[in-house]
Order: sequence, then structure tokens, then C-alpha cells
Amino acid sequence: MEREIFGYKCQKCGTLHYPFRMVCKNCRANGYFEFDTVPLPHAGKLLTFTFIHNLPAEFEVARLGLGIVELENGLRVTGQIQIDDPKLGMDVVGAIEVVKRDAYDNRYGFVFRAA
Amino acid sequence: MREVYIIGIGITTFTRLEYPLSEIAAYASMGALKDAGLTDVDYLVVANMGSARINSQSALASAVADTLSLTPAGAVRVENGPASGASAIKEGFMAVASGMHDTVLVAGAERMREVNSLEATDFVATLTHPMAEYIYGVTLPGHAAMFTRLYMEKYGVTERHLAMVGVKNQNNAMLNKDAHLHQPISLEGILDSPEAMTNNPWVAEPIRFFDCCPVSDGGAALILASKEVAEASGRPMIRISGIGQATDTLAVHEREEPTDLMAVRRAAEQAYAMAGIKPKDIDVAELHDAFTILEIVESEEVGFFEKGKGHIALEKGETEIGGKMPINPSGGLKGKGHPVGATGVAQVHEIVMQLRGDAGERQVKGAKNGLACNFGGFGNNVIVSTYTREG
Ligand SMILES: [Zn+2]
Repeated sequence: MEREIFGYKCQKCGTLHYPFRMVCKNCRANGYFEFDTVPLPHAGKLLTFTFIHNLPAEFEVARLGLGIVELENGLRVTGQIQIDDPKLGMDVVGAIEVVKRDAYDNRYGFVFRAA
Repeated sequence: MREVYIIGIGITTFTRLEYPLSEIAAYASMGALKDAGLTDVDYLVVANMGSARINSQSALASAVADTLSLTPAGAVRVENGPASGASAIKEGFMAVASGMHDTVLVAGAERMREVNSLEATDFVATLTHPMAEYIYGVTLPGHAAMFTRLYMEKYGVTERHLAMVGVKNQNNAMLNKDAHLHQPISLEGILDSPEAMTNNPWVAEPIRFFDCCPVSDGGAALILASKEVAEASGRPMIRISGIGQATDTLAVHEREEPTDLMAVRRAAEQAYAMAGIKPKDIDVAELHDAFTILEIVESEEVGFFEKGKGHIALEKGETEIGGKMPINPSGGLKGKGHPVGATGVAQVHEIVMQLRGDAGERQVKGAKNGLACNFGGFGNNVIVSTYTREG
């Protein structure tokens, strides 16, 4: 199954949000679920990043890369990064992959690599 | 609104404590009651973040009221992430200011060392956005690290500045018998010497072990009272002069300007407006330095220094106990420790000590106005409050 991560576009004013929120941050005028889901672009620029060394127990790696990416449509997302030597502002492209396995489920999210 | 005073303070040592959470809260509370010369109160507000998850105890306030034999006084627990402590103070303030109660015990307590440090980190990380952050492995050190990198790039903050905050606060903690860390550190030991990188490993690049507060157990408590009760108590008159609170987006990536902490700025503006004072009137401050970068940024957002210039003031020694704007004389979260639910209350415990002139070797001379910033989430729920000594 092809997995996607969606942005939420307000049906009243067109503002795009990620993650989901019940009320539009811009106009606060939308009704219940008056958002259109819009697939997010996968390409963007790396705004900031870190490598975490002391991880919560469920992550079975020694060092986990995380970053905030500004996607081509201007929306920002947080995701994992698999980049050896990241640089601020570099072009990246994301894939939807398993980012966490816990007792119940595989959790899917963005994993970004150098474009 | 009625005026509200703090007439009693109490605290436990911040360390690993081998007694139950309710007793940690109660021990600090007994100190505060004794200090105020009271044996009962009208109402209790108990701040705690994790009891149900990490200590298998919910409804903590009922247990605290009972163990202190304060029943049948009303009691409520406040959970508001790392800002639980100041949120409880705000609840207590409103209870007295409204005229509903004359005396309120505000206690904060956390027992985090009951679980290992990975579980403690994961527990705190549950305050992040569940779908857009938490599932990726985002932790609070992770947020702090991504924020630090932006601040370094934009304003020229370096690893050395971060280390200077840690050295200052850990050395201040040497003067505080209740502080968690009684280990003097130097720039040589954590940054410059050949062993420094072994002593001070990465936690989340670019932040290191000595940029992070320890995981602590501890409790702190205050007695809030109406003016009439405060005057009758004969205790020094320390008034809660201003309280402001603001929220921000849960997901950090949604913030318009990623190097701003707007909730800190807005909460501070509200507190100053309520108190009728300006940042330059503040003599001593306790800021929420869970990570060293936060002391620098908060010192700017509460208006002590221009945006992007906090690290310059730090370099000049202005934030030391003898400096122009002393910050975290208690040792801060970095040196004193960070039992999450207790922290906001403990910050005000220190401010009251300072305004009473009871802070001993770490006393800021002649302090009349104090400020505390209790930073919840990664800046998504922040309370700034000000305190004034009368007479
Ligand atoms: Zn809208």
C-alpha cells in the first residue's frame, strides 16, 4: 500500500496546515472537518537538524537523525533524516517509511535523504 | 482583585529521594506551613506532571491533603507539563485574589528517579505532538538541539556560550545546600581539555551532557495568603505583583519564526503590565534553563537583553550573582535540578529567599523585584511571574 502524509487545506480561506487541527489557524471560521486533504510534496530544504544520542527505549539505533524540513509548498514538517553530513539549507527528499515500531503497530512517517 | 502575598516557603533537597511522591510534596509543605506559622489552610493546589505514569499514583492532591491532615480542605492537582508548578501558583493566586480563599498551600513535587533515565526522557517527550513529532523519536533535548543550531547560525551563539551558562549555574548551585549537583565545573573540564569530550559527550548534537539539567526528585511549597492574613502573620510581605501566561503551537515546526519563543515574550509582557514594572526594574530572575540555550533565549524574550544579545551579556558576566542582571542564583534547573512538577514552585521559593534577604552566600544585594519564567513544552505553554518586596 502506498502511504502518504497529508496537509489540511481550509475550505474557507485556503490556508494549508500540518499537522491536522480542528480549526483553521488563519481564519478560525471553518466548520467541522471543513478541510480538504492535500498530499504533501516530498522535496524541500533542511531548516535545522540534530542527531540524538540518548533515545527513548523503542528506538534501536545508537544515534537518530532528526530534522525540520520546509517542503516545496512552504509547509514545514518534522521527520527523521538519513544524511551523513547534513548542512543547513540543503535540498532533501522524503520517503514515507517506518519511523517507529512499538508493541502495537508500525508507525509511518517522513524519512529525509539528500536530494 | 485582592492582593496576594507569599508568607511561607519550604523545599526538599533535589536529588534521588527514597520516599513516596506524596511525602515529597508533604515534606516541602510542612516547611512552608511552619514558615508561615500556620497549621491549616483553606485550599491546596498540587503541581505534578508524571505521577500516574511513572509513580502509579493518580489524584495526588487527595493523598497530599490527607498525609498532611489538612482534610477536609479542598485540594486539586495541576498537570501542565513542565509549567505545572507556575500553573499551580496561578491557580492559588486566583483563589486568593478572587476572595474565595484566604490561605492556599501550593506544592509541587516529582519523583522521576523511580524510572531509569531513558524512561524519564520518554515520559517528558510525551508532551510533544503525538503524530507529527513524538513518533519520530523527538525528545526535549532533540527540540533544544534543533533550536540551538538555528540560534548559533543566526546570532553567533557558540558551544562556549552554552558551556558558560552551565558553569555559572553549576557553580551557583555550590552555594545552595538543597541543589542536586554539588560538582564544580570549568570550561577547561567540559570544553577545552583533552578529556573534555569524554567528560561531556553529545546528548543531541550540538548540545552536550553539561548543557542539560539532571533528572531529579524533589518538592517545593509556598503559602499564599490575603493581605489581612499576611499582615497578621508577621512574615516579610512578598507580593505576587504580576502573572502572565501564553501558549504556542504544539508542533514546534509550525512556528512562524523558528528562533522566537513567542509564549515567553507574551507571558512576560502580561506580567510586567499587571505589575506596572519594566524589565529594568527586575533585580533577580530564575529562568527555566532545562537546556543552557534556554537561559540565553529567555533572558532576551523577557526583555533583559536585546534579541540575539543574551550571550554577549553572559560573556560580560552580567548574569552572575554580582552582575547587573543576576540569573539563576539558585543554580537553576541545571545546577539545582529539575523535578518537573516542582520546578515552577522551586523557582519562586528562590525568589522569595532573595527578596527576604535570606539567600546567604548567593544573596543578590538589595533585591526588591524578582521574576520567574516557567517554560512548559518546548515553549508551548509558558508562565512568567513577578514578585515585589513591600516595606
Ligand atoms: Zn481558514
